Amino acid sequence: MIKKIICGIGVVSLFSCSAVKEYEKVYINDPDMVLGTKKLDRFQTNFHSYREAASGANGGKTGGGCGCN
Amino acid sequence: MRVQLKLKFNLLVFFAIFGIFSVSAQEQVSEENAYKKRVLENTEIDFLTSYYSQDGENAAVSGGKGTEELTDFTPTIVVSIPLNADDVLTIDAGVSAYTSTSSSNVDPFDGSGPADPFTASSGASQSDTWANLNATYSHSSNDRNKIWTANFSVASEYDYFSLGFGGSFTKLWNDKNTELTVNGNVFLDTWNPIYPYELRPFGEHGKRLGDALFSRYHITGNAGYNPVFSEFTDKGRNSYSLGFNFSQILTERMQASIALDLVQQSGLLSTPFQRVYFRDIENSFIEDFQLADAIEQLPDNRLKVAAGGRLNYYLNEIFVLRGYYRFYNDDWGIQSHTASLEIPIKLGTKFTLYPSYRYYMQTAADYFAGYEMHTSSEEYYTSDYDLSRFSANQYSFGVNYTDIFTQFHLWSLHMKSIDLRYLYYKRNSGLKSNLISAGINFIVE
Repeated sequence: MIKKIICGIGVVSLFSCSAVKEYEKVYINDPDMVLGTKKLDRFQTNFHSYREAASGANGGKTGGGCGCN
Repeated sequence: MRVQLKLKFNLLVFFAIFGIFSVSAQEQVSEENAYKKRVLENTEIDFLTSYYSQDGENAAVSGGKGTEELTDFTPTIVVSIPLNADDVLTIDAGVSAYTSTSSSNVDPFDGSGPADPFTASSGASQSDTWANLNATYSHSSNDRNKIWTANFSVASEYDYFSLGFGGSFTKLWNDKNTELTVNGNVFLDTWNPIYPYELRPFGEHGKRLGDALFSRYHITGNAGYNPVFSEFTDKGRNSYSLGFNFSQILTERMQASIALDLVQQSGLLSTPFQRVYFRDIENSFIEDFQLADAIEQLPDNRLKVAAGGRLNYYLNEIFVLRGYYRFYNDDWGIQSHTASLEIPIKLGTKFTLYPSYRYYMQTAADYFAGYEMHTSSEEYYTSDYDLSRFSANQYSFGVNYTDIFTQFHLWSLHMKSIDLRYLYYKRNSGLKSNLISAGINFIVE
């Protein structure tokens, strides 16, 4: 698992040899390019945490706050 | 005299140098203040709400057999307040009011009709309200390359109370092309256990079969009803999480992130009102309701590991591709894969459509078996189908309206955007659910 993650970070880093400058970030700064979750996503993340066993790595809560596992 | 002059000269030089430095420092500070962009320009308020409904036939409350009908309404308000150029305080408060046919059957013997796992009871557990308050304070460095946050949360419902706190640190570098966040959270939760009604006489001070319940109702099937039951002594549940998130701008149109979350839970991880029926114990009934042989028993520790990745690509002025994948593993034997793709479609400058598809699959927990599949000799058992093997498909569609000029306003609230979303979720085990959510974002001026 850890090896896969390190490989993943390595692959991602390979793409990043030259930095994209601020004035070149017109597309990157588009609201739909945000890597995190949006405010409305909280509701589906919440019901997934009840109805599915898996949680975490999605920007949502990883435990606590409700009786769900 | 010469000494006095020298002293005066030295003092003059000292004050001159001090003065120059002071003026220089003041100019520097005012220059920073003049040009430093505020992290958040104005106070923002989000009114968010959702309506959720589901139905299925594998209710955990009645041991894997019975209706899973449930509805939930959740209004929430999120207020983000800029305290100064660098600091933002966010208050997030919400309630969740649900009605549930399955949880109403914690006490199915309400006398209004024959008790049945597929029929709602009018007992107190048919509805509950969950309230939540979360405060987050964030501070950004002058160059905006470092961000610290601290958060505190409280959540409460009738049988559950949660206290949480945590923090995170984010570092950006490489012209803000690369970002690493480390976060940690602790949740200290407490159960107020509610047990299935027919098991309560078999608790610490119960009268067992001499209880009024069994004189009011006649037991059919195995009349010598003798469940495996003792009340939980440990009512706490603690969760500790550590998360890492690494993101990278790859090209002018593409960026990606990788996240890793480690969660350790300990304490009462079973749900006290979820029944289990053993295949090696003769069945007992009151009316059409099968009496519990036991309640769910799960280990008091769980280690979860989740690793996920996101990849966003700006295809052109109309389409954006948003991909997500997550792998999950825990020491209860569950592995899962989640994959989703959302394709925002921009219609002009104000409207965006959000069609998306999500696929989810998981293996079963080592302790899961269906209705009447466990035996009484097992140490751990559950018939909660949320811990079973299944796959699920989710289709959703949303629409966003954004007005960057915030022309519509109510008093000092200027509307910035409106979001609406509908999603349909279906498991291959039969559970279906619908979620409608909406949000309005206002800027306070």
